[in-house]
Amino acid sequence: MSGDLLLRARTGSAGRQTRQRSPSRRALPLAACLGLLGLAVLASLALGSKAVSLPDVLAALRGQDDPYLRSVVDSRVPRTAIGILAGACLAVSGVIMQGITRNPLGDPGLLGVNIGAAASVVTATAFLGVGGGASTVWVALPGAFLAMLLVHVVGSGRHGATPVRLVLAGAVLTAVLSAYVQAVTLSLPAVFDSYRFWVVGSLAGANAETSLQVLPFVVAGLVVAAMLAGPLNVLALGDATATALGAHPSRTRLAGVVAATLLCAASTAAVGPIAFVGLAVPHIVRSVVGSDHRWQLPLSLLLGPALLLAADVVGRVVLRPQELMVGVVTAFIGAPVLLVVVRRMRMAT
Amino acid sequence: MSATAPRLVRLGNAVAVPVTRRGMTYAWSVTALVMVLAVATLSLGDLGVPLDHLPRALTGGADGAEAFVLERLRGPRLVVAVTAGAALAVSGSLFQTVTRNPLASPDVIGLTAGAGAGAAAASVFWSGAVPVPVGAVAGAVSAAMLVHLSTGRGFSSPSHVIIAGIGVAAMALALIQYVVLVGMRDQSTALAGYLAGSLSARSWQHAALVGAALLVLLPAAALMGQRLRLIEMGDELADALGGEAHRTRFWSLVVAIALAAAAVAVAGPISFVSLTAPQVAKRITRAPGAAVLSTALTGSLILVVADLAAQQAPVVRDLPVGILTAGVGGLYLGFLLVREWKKGTL
Repeated sequence: MSGDLLLRARTGSAGRQTRQRSPSRRALPLAACLGLLGLAVLASLALGSKAVSLPDVLAALRGQDDPYLRSVVDSRVPRTAIGILAGACLAVSGVIMQGITRNPLGDPGLLGVNIGAAASVVTATAFLGVGGGASTVWVALPGAFLAMLLVHVVGSGRHGATPVRLVLAGAVLTAVLSAYVQAVTLSLPAVFDSYRFWVVGSLAGANAETSLQVLPFVVAGLVVAAMLAGPLNVLALGDATATALGAHPSRTRLAGVVAATLLCAASTAAVGPIAFVGLAVPHIVRSVVGSDHRWQLPLSLLLGPALLLAADVVGRVVLRPQELMVGVVTAFIGAPVLLVVVRRMRMAT
Repeated sequence: MSATAPRLVRLGNAVAVPVTRRGMTYAWSVTALVMVLAVATLSLGDLGVPLDHLPRALTGGADGAEAFVLERLRGPRLVVAVTAGAALAVSGSLFQTVTRNPLASPDVIGLTAGAGAGAAAASVFWSGAVPVPVGAVAGAVSAAMLVHLSTGRGFSSPSHVIIAGIGVAAMALALIQYVVLVGMRDQSTALAGYLAGSLSARSWQHAALVGAALLVLLPAAALMGQRLRLIEMGDELADALGGEAHRTRFWSLVVAIALAAAAVAVAGPISFVSLTAPQVAKRITRAPGAAVLSTALTGSLILVVADLAAQQAPVVRDLPVGILTAGVGGLYLGFLLVREWKKGTL
């Protein structure tokens, strides 16, 4: 495949990270990610304010055993399902946003896209009376798209976008919009029974319908993302080279924006704005398998849900019987990744 | 810069404050504005003390309900707004001057969030054992050190500092959520107050704490401001003129962190006052560096305005004041960023 040859042709310091790796060196991380996801799913079903032993979990899933354990496990199934979907959305949209902007700091939370979607939903619910159920994603979509557009326009300025500018524009948008969301949700407590859900994100309110409602959007986003794996590899070489090689950078970016918008809107509609998963997962994956997007995407698809579910389990366990919202835990796990990335970055001034 | 040379107002041999006419005019007009808004804060609304009662009430002649409003509800709150605003503003000004980075104020680099986390932990986990201000200082110092470490090159690079600050602030806010959830279960308004900073239900103890901190730290900040202006000419020249660049920077940061921590300990991590106030003061007085008095007054003005809105404005009433400053200040940060980019300095 052309992407592969191109990656091998890269030289210099960047080339070191992207050299061709043997299939076995990639099969291992793939297996590891699968294993981690499996573990996270089991933990998510078994742990919480009431711990259930693994044999009991399996028995309950098969429909046996006493009704109490079954109801406990059954209540955790939709939560786990929504965690898998949201984790996949966040991680894959992180890969895409880092890819289309060649920006190591791309993250739907950092760049303000998730809070844009949340603000849109909150506005619609509070002032227009729409939202709730399947329409939530439709309402979240324009917010996510506008946020992405705004951050890009502000971040680009006259001299083109740099990672720093995009992140700063995202930070501004996040500050303003989260103040807005907090103001609206606090002023209308009757409309928003869970104020914090729209500020930090949580898996606690998930039910089976939520998963089904966001599923079409998630699938659509993931399909577009899958088609972008090759083009993103070419885009990594720089716009000029990519164009010379017959690629269409602007088309790739447009498709990337579509995919990322779909994924961010779906995950925010389902679980609220969650930051740092989309930043941390691609960086972890890249450090293991290199920068080939055909590996980054599937591995992120597995590792994102694993990370989100693990964070959710931690949030359920640390404050038993209370719960810490998953967005809080991911901030605490993911923000150090941001610090590490910043330390490594070479930036203008 | 002002066209006329500034006069020097001397306080002994150590301090000589340059005073420009423009700066004086600004300081007096801001003081007058703060006074007007203070009167409005005390007298507006259902519980307000009527204007004609106010002079008598302030001189100790208030009866039951008015005395309660003055001494318990609005009085302390107003004094905290004035003092905390001043402390935040001066802290921001020192930070911006030391780092030569217009965006490096304690709120942008995650320092106020860290102080908020420390204060929350001290008041919820170790209430009684650790005084809240000590917790706030510890949190602020930890946050500053974390940012310093993770940029890999100190505070000098604007972009590194700000992005590291975003990360540190995210962690600190997560910590606050954890602490508040442990301590007070599910009270969203209390949580929002801890997260964004609030002035409701402040007492005279709170006011006394920031007031005392200001009394000690404002003169120190003024002294540092003088030295810092020398440093702006370059380290060698400053050393030759007795500026002692490294020590000045270090002590300026110490004063700045202490000021921010004092404000956060009583009012929570109110954001964007320390970013905006020095900039506004600088732009209007056209004074180079940190004109401490103007900056402090500007900070007071911003926080008093925001708090008046949080008490009386129709839509945002009863929101934590930090949410208002975050909304408006966030827009100002956006404006600053765009301006810096046009200049090509970032």
